[in-house]
Amino acid sequence: MPRTGDSMRGLAVFIADIRNCKSREQEKKRINKELANIRSKFKGDKQLDGYQKKKYVCKLLFIFLLGNDVDFGHMEAVDLLASNKYTEKQIGYLFISVMMHHSNDLYKLVIQAIKNDLSSKDPVHICLALTCIANIGTPEMAEEIGDEVPKILTSPDTLHGVKKCAALCLLRLFELKSDKFIHAELSSRLIALLSDQHLGVVTSACSLIQALVTANTVEYKGCVSLAVSRLSRIVSSTDLKDYMYYFIAAPWLSVKLLRLLQSYGQPTDSAVYERLKESLETILNRATDPPKSKKIQHTNAKNAVLFEAINLIIHYDSDAALMVRSCNLLGGFLNSKETNLRYLALESLTKLAVSDFSRKAVMKHQETVVQALKNERDLSVRQRAVDLLYAMCDRDQAEEIVGELLAYLEKADYSIREELVLKIAILAEKFAQDYKWYVDVVLNLIRIAGDYIADEVWYRVTQIVINRDDIQAYAAKTVFEALQAPTCHENMVKVGAYILGEFGNLIAGDERSGPIVQFKLLHSMFHLCSNQTKYILLSTYIKLINLFPEIKGDIEEVLGNDNQLRNSDAEIQQRAMEYTKLSQIASSDLLATVLEEMPQFTERESSLLAKLKKKSNTLVKERDDGDNTSLQNVELSSAPVDVGGSSLLDLESPSGTAEIPEPALESGTPQDSPVLNNYSAPPAAVAAAPPAPAAEPSLLDMFGGAPPATDPTKVQVVTGLIECNEAAQPNFKAFICSRNNGILFENEIIQIGVKSEFTGFEGKLQVFYGNKSPLPLQGFNTTLFISPKDQPSLRLEGQKVTLLISAGAQIPQTIKATAVAAFGETPLLQISFSAAGTAHTMVLRLPLLVNKFCKGTGMGAQDFFMRWKNLNLPAQECQKVFKASRPMDNDLVKGKVQGFGFQVLEGVDPKPDNLVGAGIIVCEGSQVGCLLRLEPSKPAQMYRMTVRSSREGVPELLVNLLSQDL
Amino acid sequence: MIKAALIFNNHGKPRLTKFFTYYTEEMQQQIIRETFLLLSKREDSVCNFLEGGTLIGGSDFRLVYRHYATLYFVFCVDSSESELGILDLIQVFVETLDRCFENVCELDLIFHMDKVHYILQEIVMGGMVVETNQTEILTHIEAQQRIEKQEAGMGGAPARALSAAKSMAPNVNLPKLADLQNISLPSFKKL
Repeated sequence: MPRTGDSMRGLAVFIADIRNCKSREQEKKRINKELANIRSKFKGDKQLDGYQKKKYVCKLLFIFLLGNDVDFGHMEAVDLLASNKYTEKQIGYLFISVMMHHSNDLYKLVIQAIKNDLSSKDPVHICLALTCIANIGTPEMAEEIGDEVPKILTSPDTLHGVKKCAALCLLRLFELKSDKFIHAELSSRLIALLSDQHLGVVTSACSLIQALVTANTVEYKGCVSLAVSRLSRIVSSTDLKDYMYYFIAAPWLSVKLLRLLQSYGQPTDSAVYERLKESLETILNRATDPPKSKKIQHTNAKNAVLFEAINLIIHYDSDAALMVRSCNLLGGFLNSKETNLRYLALESLTKLAVSDFSRKAVMKHQETVVQALKNERDLSVRQRAVDLLYAMCDRDQAEEIVGELLAYLEKADYSIREELVLKIAILAEKFAQDYKWYVDVVLNLIRIAGDYIADEVWYRVTQIVINRDDIQAYAAKTVFEALQAPTCHENMVKVGAYILGEFGNLIAGDERSGPIVQFKLLHSMFHLCSNQTKYILLSTYIKLINLFPEIKGDIEEVLGNDNQLRNSDAEIQQRAMEYTKLSQIASSDLLATVLEEMPQFTERESSLLAKLKKKSNTLVKERDDGDNTSLQNVELSSAPVDVGGSSLLDLESPSGTAEIPEPALESGTPQDSPVLNNYSAPPAAVAAAPPAPAAEPSLLDMFGGAPPATDPTKVQVVTGLIECNEAAQPNFKAFICSRNNGILFENEIIQIGVKSEFTGFEGKLQVFYGNKSPLPLQGFNTTLFISPKDQPSLRLEGQKVTLLISAGAQIPQTIKATAVAAFGETPLLQISFSAAGTAHTMVLRLPLLVNKFCKGTGMGAQDFFMRWKNLNLPAQECQKVFKASRPMDNDLVKGKVQGFGFQVLEGVDPKPDNLVGAGIIVCEGSQVGCLLRLEPSKPAQMYRMTVRSSREGVPELLVNLLSQDL
Repeated sequence: MIKAALIFNNHGKPRLTKFFTYYTEEMQQQIIRETFLLLSKREDSVCNFLEGGTLIGGSDFRLVYRHYATLYFVFCVDSSESELGILDLIQVFVETLDRCFENVCELDLIFHMDKVHYILQEIVMGGMVVETNQTEILTHIEAQQRIEKQEAGMGGAPARALSAAKSMAPNVNLPKLADLQNISLPSFKKL
């Protein structure tokens, strides 16, 4: 027995010495002395025998365990591998697997030693080698020894002790070089291991197969039925001899098998599933049996199997009865004395709460879970309770659950507060029936846990207030009251400043919250705040000037104060300076335009969810599929819609700065802080300038910048009507048929050209702006307009252009168009800039016409007439008789029709002058066939054009377009 | 998968460390310290698993541990393992140690670190459970010990000679054996 052997007295003495050391220094000294001793022994001339080497290597292991670097002894350990004594080999392998990294030069020798041992006749040597590979396998080993291991594993002569090691060894090699071990022959033999007589072999094989299954699910599908039958045999047996663990039959193997089954869906073979279901039911039944032993190990093992069975039931998510039973069992555990059980029960219930089958059953335990939140002593259990409440919350329970979570937040551990805040904010937003309640909840959050409010949380509340007219007054009132509290968190100041700046007027009627009161209240916080908040406050002040001209004097005094104008922070200086000037110079109308109310926010994914996902665990992931409901869908019907991606809300970076590339301002301030365009303050504060002032070029001049488009790289696409002077584009007709490239517009200042390409339902336009004047064009900005009628049919996305075009320069702009359906109007491009102090605005039609997406198609006469006749509804046809605007030359007309997009069909119409064509308009997700007949009457200089199409409205569109150019 | 098996005492002194995934020595020590800090704060009544520290992989990993008298037994596992199963595995490990050392205590682990490693090796290999049946584990260990005895019989002569010599030299104070490094052993060999 180890204790009695005095085999390595030197080691024992050394350890005793170390233990007797009184101080860290003494210990260090003793260790260094020993290291020096061992080193000299290793280097010495005297040949050390195996025993000595073993002893020294053991000492090194001990020294290493104490946290000291050991940088020698590897060679001696490798020597021990080659020894023919088991104990020496054993310690050699131990040293290598604990201390050696495979970058070591000696690794080749190790591999050689392993090879030798694998081919040994002695099973204990083979096991040592296999264990070593399993522990520290390397790709080289997989390469050199990889073929041996499967042979050992599947050979009928191998002892089961060796097989176990071989299975885990193969698992390691497979992880290192998976392609080497995937072939059908091997897989069937490996699956067969699940039926091995020896349960230890099955346990290891189960781990191996689990890994293989993830890489090759189909090939290992056969393991399901074997696993089910193995499980069934274990569950139904009462005596597995040595594999009974405190009266439970092979709990680990059962757990492994149940895990393995979770790699697949429910078995399709009903016999297999019935058998599995029987086992699962037995496991559930046993949970309520009286325990066969009072020992904790007994219940532990029993429950380990039970939890895994429940996991499998959840994984299948198909059997309502089993799921509800699981819920009830787990609910029982919530009151267990065992903390472990409560923890695991909460965790499993969280998974069950997501399923429709068991949702209701989980809800029954809400009361208990809330109690757990209040009384549980273990933080990690409380956290699971929070997760569960978050998962089971629905519209009906939201107020109660959020209330409980808020109460918990007050005493929650600091480490989990931020996550808790996010969860509460998400629930409140998602299930809000009354948005006043939502506002209250978030303000409460800020009050209780101001320090743990992620910026996203307060951005979100301001966005929602902006998007919902009905709560703006309430929000203003509530936040005003909150600000009156004796202590008030800075985040509250931010929200307050923002909301009062936008909606302070809604509560100004009451003299207790009159204009000057609001301003004084906000300004009383100013000196306590960080610079970030001061920026927001300054913006709020200028907004207040707009809302309440009567307090202009008071505010100007603050803005013009040296504390601001000569502040050490450049941003504060600049804001104060520019706002002062704005207030002094601008007329009240202009001010009202600049500081117009914020437009509504659009949104794709809630930034809160994104944040929570980043922050935390899997539990959240299971919830978020359904999360794009409610507020996110508060759709924003009117007003500008920003295209192509990140709205203000998708702020990943903490500063949230939208980087709009633009030149420095006249004031010569650094590029990164031009006021009104590019706030380095949180994005919600960008509000000061409304995004629709294209009609105010003079204003733009004043600030030398463009209105802030919400996405820095995209131009604004506006759905709306705008007047277009068609006379400005006399040559536009040329774009209808044939031309894709050409000059769109030209005057003495600017030349605008276009190049376009169309493939399928997508089009790419390149617009070139050339500055013909000797001066730079400043404040250059473009906006795209789509007629409201066409809004769903056409999608546009335009790249932003630079703000400045220097004299003689030309800049390109790419616009991508997607035809969703046939659209009627040409999209318009509004261009504004100032040249030599004069503002110019022009609106141009883009040569983006529905026929550009039309592709000619050929067919025979019979086919044509059959189709023509089938399209006999009145709405499917449009006919127009019109006067020719050009010479009626047959070839010319044919060219036009072809350029328009139809294929001219020869020999269909008996009259040679008549022209027949067919085409398909390709849209995203649909194709619209169109047929054309054009009958010229040369004497009358008239055409009769008839277009039929399967889609209503399309014939008119085409007739109107084509007739313009004939 | 089990990423690491650690044993340390109430003061954080490591008694066994076995990593099944490669970490540098420096990192190993940091992980041990971090784990100790996480666990030492916990009362005995709280649950036996918690999210792993940031060094070992954060919340994707769990620490499953048991606290016996002066020792913490900690297994760091990923999500593919059952917490209760691992808890029982620790129990099997400890029971096996107890059988091998007859009422195992911290000192046994200190002085027979190699043996503890070998026992662990019979239970966990490459991060996977290899055997859970205690009888089988003990059979293996006993077989190893038999081999060891045999080999000691053949090659243990010098060691036994040394200890015999020590017992023959009454004036040598054994605990100070370390001072006797200069005794030239070859002369004993001739005995």
